[in-house]
Amino acid sequence: MIKFSNVSLIYPHSTKTVLEDLNCEIQEGEMVLVMGQTGSGKSSLLRLINGLVPHHTGGILAGDISVDGLSTRELKPGALAHLVGIVGQNPINGFVTDVVEEEIAFGMEALNFAPDVMRKRVEEVLDLLSLNAVRSRAISSLSGGEQQRVAIAAALVMHPKVLVLDEPTSALDPIAAEEVLSVLHRLVHDLSVTVIMAEHRLERVIQFVDRIIYIEGNGETSIGSAEEILSKSELVPPIIRLARALNLSELGTSVREVRRLTTDIRNIPVADIDSATRTHLPAIDVDSLTVKYGAQTALRDVSTSVGRGEIVALMGRNGAGKSSLLEAIVGVLKPSSGAVRVYEQNPAELAGKNRRERIGYVPQEPSDLLYHQSVRQECQEADLQAGLKDGTTLSFLDKLVPRISHDAHPHDLSEGQRLALVLSIVLSGDPQLLILDEPTRGLDYQAKTLFTRALKEYASRLNYPVLLATHDVELVAELVDRVIFLAEGEIVADGSTLDVLLSSPAFAPQVAKIMAPQPWLTVDHVVSALAEKL
Amino acid sequence: MKTKNILTFSKAHFVALTATSLIGALGFLWPFLISTQVAHPQWIFLCATPLALAIFLISVSNGALDAKSVALLALLSALVAALRPLGTGAVGIEPMWFLLILSARVFGPSFGFLLGALSMLLSALITGGTGPWLAYQCFAAAWIALGVGLIPRRVRGSLEITALVGYAILAAEFFGIAMDLQFWPWYLGVDSQLSFSVGAPLTENLSNFMSYHFLSALAWDIPRAIFTSVLIVITGKPVLGALRRAHTRAAFLSPIEFRNLTANERAMGKMAAKQ
Repeated sequence: MIKFSNVSLIYPHSTKTVLEDLNCEIQEGEMVLVMGQTGSGKSSLLRLINGLVPHHTGGILAGDISVDGLSTRELKPGALAHLVGIVGQNPINGFVTDVVEEEIAFGMEALNFAPDVMRKRVEEVLDLLSLNAVRSRAISSLSGGEQQRVAIAAALVMHPKVLVLDEPTSALDPIAAEEVLSVLHRLVHDLSVTVIMAEHRLERVIQFVDRIIYIEGNGETSIGSAEEILSKSELVPPIIRLARALNLSELGTSVREVRRLTTDIRNIPVADIDSATRTHLPAIDVDSLTVKYGAQTALRDVSTSVGRGEIVALMGRNGAGKSSLLEAIVGVLKPSSGAVRVYEQNPAELAGKNRRERIGYVPQEPSDLLYHQSVRQECQEADLQAGLKDGTTLSFLDKLVPRISHDAHPHDLSEGQRLALVLSIVLSGDPQLLILDEPTRGLDYQAKTLFTRALKEYASRLNYPVLLATHDVELVAELVDRVIFLAEGEIVADGSTLDVLLSSPAFAPQVAKIMAPQPWLTVDHVVSALAEKL
Repeated sequence: MKTKNILTFSKAHFVALTATSLIGALGFLWPFLISTQVAHPQWIFLCATPLALAIFLISVSNGALDAKSVALLALLSALVAALRPLGTGAVGIEPMWFLLILSARVFGPSFGFLLGALSMLLSALITGGTGPWLAYQCFAAAWIALGVGLIPRRVRGSLEITALVGYAILAAEFFGIAMDLQFWPWYLGVDSQLSFSVGAPLTENLSNFMSYHFLSALAWDIPRAIFTSVLIVITGKPVLGALRRAHTRAAFLSPIEFRNLTANERAMGKMAAKQ
């Protein structure tokens, strides 16, 4: 279906080869994952398939790519539109209309389909992706998983033979991600659509994919089955790290497979991990907080407190009220009733320098905080604001992510680099409380490890609390002490990470699913618990 | 081979532009040119002006615009159009001119011409301000953006901002004259001292018009000039920076090359990658 022959790619005004001599043939009905570190050229590879690279971006392309026998050298992206459907990284940015049905019909309208054909196809695709119930809703009112499915439907309605997806599950909670992946699985198996996707959350996708294209930093690529690639790669999901740590004879990509391989290990009796709860002096107090947007209640009578030095995760579905709670604690959202106290003060009354010293806040879109022309300028500004010696922030950033170019424009950085920059700016003033809203979307495993280390260091060195909203259960398992689980604006669970994550099958991390009923969440837990036994 | 350039008018387009502009200019200047009593000459131009503009826009957009130019044009038109009613329009305070002028500066006069015409049209649709004056407003805004091309390309830094501020003042005055011209024959009725009198000598009409314009300029054009200049001084540097970055990122006229690597080059590439 898709054939890459000796493909190399260089962008103009750059000396770095994005891809180097890629040879591979993707069959009809195959599901292929493209993986690699952030900024390694995954998106470029995907956009080579429909000719956007180099026809829209410029660049030197050696070799040839053909899709269903058509070479992208001769054809412009428009001429491949009927063959290749593409779903971008952030579907909400790509929507052109407001209503689900209209969005699905839009592409056919542009390709001049007859009205009766359009009508039929819209109905088909609504059923195929189970969107019939929301067909006349406004797209902005849908959940993340539904939006992603609408984007897939809009691409699929043109009956493409190839579907290309860039990070389809990064922004989704685990349940919505399952929803999207099972749809893709069905497309591949029932309709023989060829699916190619890039994704960082390997733990979610590897069990579905047939093959993996791994792009190493220097442009070299390797292609093979999931087991082949993952056995050598540096980027591996927890399930593979577990297999490596336990020296299993073979690698498994799904929970079921690895459970079968680890029956003996699970049955070794071990002592409980001591989950002695430390007592903390309270730093944040939330007292029967209610937040309403018009008639809609975002938070209902929420009371909790967070102690000094604690790292707490807020979890829950999209729209459960996580962001509202964070914003109320930061003081940018006015509560309808109830009170929030941060170190015995009302956060809404903090201003200027006082506020910067108290609360560090990283919003969902970290680039909202970046408005200078280069990384260096951003860091200088941060030093100035916090009254630090010139270069403090910059050297902190270099420690966090080495090899970041100081003259790069902040918006040209990769997702992970940008988060690191914002984090260094926010942390430069050593705020007494750190609040992060979905910090790890778009981060690869290495960036996540750096991120985890930086937050742990902050919490333990200064004994200040960290509060973060996230969907990333693997991150929660590695990082946090306590989980607060929100649903419909209410706290439904509040307890140690172990208790909360193990009690919910959907939100349990992979290692916990494999090792159940043993109370282990991460590879490190397993290794340390078994250290004496093995 | 290269990626497509941002919209620039070809020679044929410029001929068409001159013809269209001529009709537009007549639409503004007719009160000075007619000498005999004709029944409602303004009606001819009320029809001719929008038609000329529409025909020109259609001829340009046929083929000369690629996807990236269309996207850029749509986004900027929406922004400019949305900015216009923000100042409530009272006493000429419309915060759209600075963005129109800065965009035309970065993306070139041809693009600016289209942007000016489209954003005026769009903002009229948003605010419900459609009427016979709309085509005149479109023309005036389009000419203003076209005229930004008079500032030399290589001027940069504070000199560039100074030049743009100077241009903005001229543009505010030009827009004032243009709007007065299209309003003047209609607005004052036949009896007032400053009104247009058909068939009167050119000098008399001209002096009537200048008196009328002077009165309206005090209220509208001077605040407009001040407001636009101040906005350019404040936002000029960051906005120009952002727009130039968008221009670079959109990769207009980037080289595209298809080639086959020789075995030798391939080996070299591999070595370079390993180092």
